[in-house]
Amino acid sequence: MDYDPMAMDDAESLGPVVKISQADSVRVKFELQNADISFANSLRRVMLAEIPTIAIDLVEIESNSSVLADEFIAHRLGLIPLNAEGVEHLLYSRDCDCEEYCENCSVKLTLHAKCTGYENMSVSARDLVPVGERINQSLGTPVINDKDGTGPLILKLRPEQEIKLECIAKKGIAKEHAKWAPSAAIGFEYDPHNKLRHLDLWYEKDPKSEWPPSEYAKWEEPPVEGEPFDFDAVPNHFYYNVETAGNLPPDGIVTEGIKVIQQKLAGLIHELTEGEGEGGYDGPRSPDYNSGPDTGYGYSTSYGGNGGNQSAWGGGGGTTPFGAQTSYGGGGWS
Amino acid sequence: MNAPDRFELFLLGEGEKKIAETVVNSIPNCSDFLMKKEDHTIGNLLAEHLKKDPQVMFAAYKIGHPNVPEVLLRIQTNGDINPREALVKILKQLVAAYGQLGREFQKELALRQYADQGRGWGFEWFNKVQMGWNDGGEKWCLLWLREESLGGGGMKGKNII
Repeated sequence: MDYDPMAMDDAESLGPVVKISQADSVRVKFELQNADISFANSLRRVMLAEIPTIAIDLVEIESNSSVLADEFIAHRLGLIPLNAEGVEHLLYSRDCDCEEYCENCSVKLTLHAKCTGYENMSVSARDLVPVGERINQSLGTPVINDKDGTGPLILKLRPEQEIKLECIAKKGIAKEHAKWAPSAAIGFEYDPHNKLRHLDLWYEKDPKSEWPPSEYAKWEEPPVEGEPFDFDAVPNHFYYNVETAGNLPPDGIVTEGIKVIQQKLAGLIHELTEGEGEGGYDGPRSPDYNSGPDTGYGYSTSYGGNGGNQSAWGGGGGTTPFGAQTSYGGGGWS
Repeated sequence: MNAPDRFELFLLGEGEKKIAETVVNSIPNCSDFLMKKEDHTIGNLLAEHLKKDPQVMFAAYKIGHPNVPEVLLRIQTNGDINPREALVKILKQLVAAYGQLGREFQKELALRQYADQGRGWGFEWFNKVQMGWNDGGEKWCLLWLREESLGGGGMKGKNII
């Protein structure tokens, strides 16, 4: 019932096709069709590991009379999700001109709590206060989604105990440390009926009853009894479930992931077609350094052979990062 | 201790080239490309898509050691184009395909949000939405309403321009 043959006829020629089955503030569930598994998996890998976000990276502890060790608290602070809205305008500290960090490449947060009452006190992410100049008012603010409005618990204080510290949140990617991962989890699934036999399902008596069908099983044709194995079959439908940790909206993770992978590919095109670019900066450089919208790196014209696809990521000033052009059909991808 | 910095997984070192081509002299029309600071994300993607190209006779990648962030990609072509051209061609196709995916995603997302608003109109939910452009450049959209919301009327399409 979910598939209509009519809905498919424009899908064949167009390249990747997306169907979103759920989209809210926490997750986006979608199906990717007409793509091959390496294409789908690269997107998954990039969304997991290479989307820049912001997380606490340096902690200066002024006083800590709690029972927890300084480094223990510092580690907990690092794992608190911070709002990454506008992180694309934040520089990587290593690319910044400043000495160690500044407001162009970091967000400063302070935490000062003392238990003055007679009962133990909880210190949570809500008590982290961003201070100083920021790129926008939400960048670096701790993500608070629980119904009490406190955010993740950092530590507890007994009466008269005190914690006072200063945190520097920096931009980074999850390849360096998982604290920069924007996604809490990414579900990735294909071939729910295991028709391709990529899985060898362990079972005690009967795999059918012991392995309940996935929610996507009804989206695909069940295998017919006695049907011969199709040796040429390849996976063509991929089911994603992108769940955010709160720092980026779930759809933002997908669009950012696409952007990052395009930047990676475009960087290679640039290197391969540039010839001998003399005087180029050869030193260490962050993945997306110099490729922001305001720096003329020249990607927008260096590859544009395909139809109306003038710029792969939105040089056209459209509201989406993918430009407004839709007349892709020059026949690049099949 | 002596563990390398983790940013060395993705930051090019001093003087390092992102990608370097070495022609393989023992095989005709064959080159090795060494990509620094890359992993399976790029390696598998490129190798698999190169293999689909009719002008490419051989394509494969390897990561010599799991601790060393380098991808070696070997490409042999049929002689109509050289391996570098084949690689650039595939790269351009992939950038375009991901761009297409992004636009497709944005479009479907806008529609999903539109459909979710439909709940406010008394519909429980739309089962599925599909959107496209007709020959006249007009936008069309089909919304499959869930059966219950139609009082057992079955699947119905609704056309909105």
